[in-house]
Amino acid sequence: MLKKVKWSQLYLWLVFIFLYAPIFYLMFYSFNAGENMSKFEGFSWIHFQELFQDTRLLIILLETFILAFLSALLATIIGTFGAILIRRFKNRKTRLGFLSLNNILLVSPDVIIGASFLILFTVLGAWIRGFSLGFITVLLSHIAFSIPIVVLMVLPKLQEMNESLVMAAYDLGANDRQVLLNVILPYLTPGIIAGYFMAFTYSLDDFAVTFFVTGNGFTTLAVEIYSRARRGVSLEINALSTLVFVFSLFLVIGYYFITSDEKKFKKSKKSQAQVESEVPVVK
Amino acid sequence: MKKEVLITFNHVIKKYDDQPVLKDISFEIEKGKFYTLLGPSGCGKTTILKMIAGFMEPTSGDILFEGKKINNIPANQRQVNTVFQDYALFPHLNVFDNIAFGLKLKKMPKKQIEQKVTEALQMVRLSGYEKREITEMSGGQRQRVAIARALVNEPKLLLLDEPLSALDQKLRTEMQYLLRSLQKKLGITFIFVTHDQEEALAMSDEIFVLNNGNIVQSGSPVDIYDEPINHYVANFIGESNIVDAVMIKDELVEFTGKQFTCVDGGMKPNEAVEVVIRPEDLVLTTPDKGKLVVTVQSMLFRGVHYEIRCLDDLGNEWLVHSTKRAIPGSKIGLSFDPEDIHVMRFNESEEDFDARLESYSE
Repeated sequence: MLKKVKWSQLYLWLVFIFLYAPIFYLMFYSFNAGENMSKFEGFSWIHFQELFQDTRLLIILLETFILAFLSALLATIIGTFGAILIRRFKNRKTRLGFLSLNNILLVSPDVIIGASFLILFTVLGAWIRGFSLGFITVLLSHIAFSIPIVVLMVLPKLQEMNESLVMAAYDLGANDRQVLLNVILPYLTPGIIAGYFMAFTYSLDDFAVTFFVTGNGFTTLAVEIYSRARRGVSLEINALSTLVFVFSLFLVIGYYFITSDEKKFKKSKKSQAQVESEVPVVK
Repeated sequence: MKKEVLITFNHVIKKYDDQPVLKDISFEIEKGKFYTLLGPSGCGKTTILKMIAGFMEPTSGDILFEGKKINNIPANQRQVNTVFQDYALFPHLNVFDNIAFGLKLKKMPKKQIEQKVTEALQMVRLSGYEKREITEMSGGQRQRVAIARALVNEPKLLLLDEPLSALDQKLRTEMQYLLRSLQKKLGITFIFVTHDQEEALAMSDEIFVLNNGNIVQSGSPVDIYDEPINHYVANFIGESNIVDAVMIKDELVEFTGKQFTCVDGGMKPNEAVEVVIRPEDLVLTTPDKGKLVVTVQSMLFRGVHYEIRCLDDLGNEWLVHSTKRAIPGSKIGLSFDPEDIHVMRFNESEEDFDARLESYSE
């Protein structure tokens, strides 16, 4: 028994070392005093200083976040209503049909999606004056590939929701808008938030689609890092990667604290409720 | 009190994909009474409820509310509220907000909402539970919140869709008393849907027994129990002994090869009929005194009474409820009074049945 536990631990450690080693290797050299990763010449912050003086990279970083924020927001709105509408189909076949169309987009390679958007946008560019590749086209394509993700995150919550909840709301006098705002959306909130963050991260780290549809004036962090890496890796990129990694680490820790806080909060409420219920209820 | 009709069903038919669920149903619901729609699952009782609530439209026929046709009026504009089978409480709202949901939609002032919710909680004996989350409540408490949420809107009609089916026996009985007293106190019409005949008998002013999309019989619990229209109703409501018989003439019926006086009449001479005798109407006696002589097959102790199964010489089974014991294998006599025999004709419509009862029950 004991031996078994040890083997499983060893296995997990090996897997995680294998997964994390490249990242840590990269982060380690961001503190290198030298100019490349061939040799560690001593600790220094010099690459971080370079990074913070590189306004071009900082602007790209900011724009990437704005893009992720906007595309996730719009995709969440569209995707949530999409999920609600898919659920409304009474016919099982139509419902599954729409769901499959949604899922195909999710599994189809980014390269194909990117290429198809490029074709679409160039055609549109030929028709519409002033329409060219740039922020808008990247935004549109990010919204497009995020919608299926949101649909997929919201649907389970919708399926879990009992139809009688909606009937009860109508029964109590709510109109369509009130049913949506007061019952359906609050019920779906956890799924919607999960969908938003999924869409956000997908947008943040997308490379392939962005690479196709971005023009001269606009670029995202992923594309920028790629083009810089091709010119020979500057350790500034390592410094940026370190910062992004620390940022995600804080996100994960923050998420952990938020969820455990919620649990604690609920627990304390529950114990309070138990105390209350021990007091005899006056009839 | 004069009769005030609240709901009228006029030859209502409902079909799903050409499959009839309700086959030409007509009835009236009067104000201030407790009605029960009773029948097995799939008999159409929930369909009727959904049509009254406004979640379904009839395929043909009319539904009237206080004399006005309401076929196409949506659920949110009807003065009807529903208590759902799974309670359908909003999980993201606490008890107070659940109950206040309908009032807030009506834009009622805050003070008044608070007062009404407090009153509603008092009615269902949940005072002080305003701040509770729904997930912190037991099944019985959720049930009561659901009732309060419906009643706080002061509907003219409350629909209850098998609301007690998920509760255990003891809670159920408690809720039956609560519902009955609430209905009496508020004077609101209740329509209660159930497949549980005991529940129906205990609570209702009027029962509609349904089968296969038809109303088979309607009447007070006592009428339906004592004078079931046919084999189906007799079997569904309570326990009964049903045997084939021949109506020799009015007030004389023959079964198990013997003739007995009874109190029924109005059939053709020598008409083939069925006879019902309730188990509690059969009295154990000695074989020489009994109208029927039977052999005891088994005896079960049921608490209130013994449940004794017997066979007569012709192979008919007789179920007896008695406080006296009988030894399995022994021969005993069963006696009963003429009033205990209830004669049922085959395929008699409810109108004919009622008319026949009228004609000889002077």
